Amino acid sequence: MPLFEWKNVKIQVDEDGFMENPEEWNEEVALALASTEDVAELTEEHWKLINYLRDYFQQYGIAPMIRKLCKETGFPLKKVYELFPSGPAKGACKVAGLAKPTGCV
Amino acid sequence: MFKEKNIWNKAEGKTTPEMKYIIEKPPKGDRVKRFLEIFAVILKHSNYRPILEQYVKISAKCSRCSVACHIYQVTQDPKDIPCYRSELLLRIYRRYFSLEGSIYGRLFGGYELKEEDIDEMAESFWKCTACRKCVLECPMGIDHGLLTHLARYIMAEMDLVPRALLISTREQLEGKTRNTSAIPWIGMADSIEFLEEEIKEMHGVDVKFPIDVEGAEYMFITPVSDWLMEAESLMGIACAMSAGGVNWTMSSKVNDAINYGLFYSDAILKRNLLVIAEEFKRLKCKKILMGECGHATRSAWFMPTYWEGGNPPEIVHCIELTHKLIKEGKIKLDPNVVTERVTYHDPCNIARQSRIIEQPREILKSFCKDFVEMTPNRSENYCCGGGGGTVSIDEIRKYRTSVGGRRKAQQIIDTGAHWVVAPCANCKKQFRELMEDNKVDGELVGLHDLILKAIIFDK
Repeated sequence: MPLFEWKNVKIQVDEDGFMENPEEWNEEVALALASTEDVAELTEEHWKLINYLRDYFQQYGIAPMIRKLCKETGFPLKKVYELFPSGPAKGACKVAGLAKPTGCV
Repeated sequence: MFKEKNIWNKAEGKTTPEMKYIIEKPPKGDRVKRFLEIFAVILKHSNYRPILEQYVKISAKCSRCSVACHIYQVTQDPKDIPCYRSELLLRIYRRYFSLEGSIYGRLFGGYELKEEDIDEMAESFWKCTACRKCVLECPMGIDHGLLTHLARYIMAEMDLVPRALLISTREQLEGKTRNTSAIPWIGMADSIEFLEEEIKEMHGVDVKFPIDVEGAEYMFITPVSDWLMEAESLMGIACAMSAGGVNWTMSSKVNDAINYGLFYSDAILKRNLLVIAEEFKRLKCKKILMGECGHATRSAWFMPTYWEGGNPPEIVHCIELTHKLIKEGKIKLDPNVVTERVTYHDPCNIARQSRIIEQPREILKSFCKDFVEMTPNRSENYCCGGGGGTVSIDEIRKYRTSVGGRRKAQQIIDTGAHWVVAPCANCKKQFRELMEDNKVDGELVGLHDLILKAIIFDK
């Protein structure tokens, strides 16, 4: 399991850079993870998406349906891709500290 | 409308991306011995022997299968010709397990299985997407997809299997959530409620996803990934069932139709089907209704093989049922909603044996203004490039979208369609990545996504 280091952050990640221990997530970790994605800086819109995912994940133990994510944040899917070029599952969820999705996702 | 775009020849001269998947615990020690031991055990406890006995005698290695293979057409590497690949396994059977081969080998020497042959098989049999298009071309009727399956089965028993499939299956059979995407029931229940609200907002009707209804006619089961990715397909299915007055139910306990056993293990195939069978009996349903998925449906068609006690239930794909309901006049679709051009991709696992071919076409043509075919189509379709479980292996995405799916990407472009219908969870994931990576215009949808748009409810 690789160790990922960025500034003061030290976290265990999998081969694709997803957190192995999502409970260790904090805002600094989000910045660290965002540095591995094609995201220049985390704007207010990024944080809106990240916080929504984070809250949902803590309540339900999984990411929301993509349709729900778009509806609740008010971002169309295209906008989500603009914010996180690798998309909602592989980009946004990763920065929000969710585990890598498995199965046909 | 029609756009001239060719990605087919664009990559000529470029090197093929690697097809390298992650293995959780790569086997160590004498792998040759282990492979032969496992092969012997599987032969003893299965019906593969008579098939292999036949295949080693009739395989002519004529390479006619090469014209069917979407992988070989891109790489032009002789090692990607289906009968070359099959021979990797057949030569082992011939030498070690057929009577003539083993006597001849002992007396005069000949082929010996080596460590590097195992590495070659571990790569080659996962380049194949088990789409079985080559079966249509083989003059001797050899099912190369079956040999891919068997070779993967033997290797999986020695832990030589993509980790992505292994960890998903482990969660499904032994984990807390009992599904491949690790969705807890509270998460799924929230999604169900959300979709019911969405339908209400869209069509102004109360459509429910019935849960744990004992004695329902149909027990509905779909790939669990739909509950993250395919909101519109699920809403469309629920609307069709509701409008058609179908007595159906989902189970809160067994809600994942994915069966990666179809791709790499008869033992896993059986275990997953027995889980579904047990829940089906508990709910006292009459038939099993499959969501939009190819491999899950073809897996379920194996139910009679493993069913215990009485007659096995009929397996109905949701397209088959929706088609019937439309024919009976129970579902009405507005012909003025879907006006853009539509095309249809035949998922290999439901189309290759010609079982679900005309129903989706009749449905789409009944309400879509502009329907066009891909060429070739129906049972001769090309694989999406992510079949055989490879779509779930994210680390080979580049291989899937530039090699495996290139033929399909060009097919989509040639139709000029806006709506690309692919009623299969595997195909849907592959299409999205394929269209994104190759910058193909159009939007990927399930068949019931369009039904959701066009359905008319009597109020």
